[in-house]
Amino acid sequence: MNEITQRKIFNYLLKNKIENFVGVPDSTLKHFIHEGLKQKKILIANREEEAIGIGTGMVLADSPTLIFMQNAGFANSISTITSLVQLYNIPMIFLIGWRGFLKNDAPEHTTIGRIQPKLLKNLELENKILDEKTWKKDCDWALSKIKNKTHVALVIRREFLD
Amino acid sequence: MIRKDAVHTVCNFIKNDIIVSANGFISRDLYSNFEKSTNFYMIGSMGLASSIGLGIALKKPKKRIFVFDGDGNILMNLGSLVTIGSLKPKNLIHIIFDNNIHESTGGQPTYSNKIDISKIAKMTNYTIFSIKTQKALQNTLQKISKINGPILIHIKIKKGTEKGSRVDITPEKIKSRFMNAIE
Repeated sequence: MNEITQRKIFNYLLKNKIENFVGVPDSTLKHFIHEGLKQKKILIANREEEAIGIGTGMVLADSPTLIFMQNAGFANSISTITSLVQLYNIPMIFLIGWRGFLKNDAPEHTTIGRIQPKLLKNLELENKILDEKTWKKDCDWALSKIKNKTHVALVIRREFLD
Repeated sequence: MIRKDAVHTVCNFIKNDIIVSANGFISRDLYSNFEKSTNFYMIGSMGLASSIGLGIALKKPKKRIFVFDGDGNILMNLGSLVTIGSLKPKNLIHIIFDNNIHESTGGQPTYSNKIDISKIAKMTNYTIFSIKTQKALQNTLQKISKINGPILIHIKIKKGTEKGSRVDITPEKIKSRFMNAIE
């Protein structure tokens, strides 16, 4: 996803009352994260489970929160999603970078990239893939879901090689 | 001092402050001794009590947040000390009940007697207190209201066989009443 759209998505979510952006960096999401850093709205955690823990505390304090991560970190987070976020029904948005979306992506991205949609499905974590044309509608969907006290994932594809 | 006695002493001091308690016997002891709606009992996601406590502390700067942690728990999320020490929440009091074992899973050893958790916390900007006796614990609890956090109270406790009853409130209910109580 291009830089302008990623920056727009950050600002749209901020304007729509997402107060905290906690996570672990991902090159796929770097413009989104950079926009947040510029506005001093990003909290970087050491691991994704930790990010979800901090974000859960913020939600318990009634402060809407988004957790961002790579899909490697999403794999790290599965137990925390089932035994904290789903167990207590903590409303939050996960933003996950889809490394390995391209077939010729780096070797460390390919397995997780291939199974990511199945992992999301098996976790019963409702999700939408953002793109340049429909991101606003899908962000509105995610915002309405957390207002109704549930958790969802938004996915951004890695469409470049480096 | 066994964990139950240490938990009891700390709770007598805490009154209605927020407590986030780690999964396993720590939450069970807290539930049996000092049940209140401003307790967030974890029943899963081991390691994350201090992270949850940090999130609340950042968003509720006028309230004191106590984290009840275990040695196995903090060793599973040691990076949390780095994040807390970097963000320096003044209102966070992190208590580690250290019995050197994973008691909830049958008493298997942790490494907490091979290294010094307090020293690690000190290196990450905590004000630390290392405690072995009830009297020292009481004296420390008297002092902490005048000190800015993050504070670590590291309590060495004996292995005990007593355990509290299971938390029988649903997780959804633990969450909703906690959120209402800390508003």
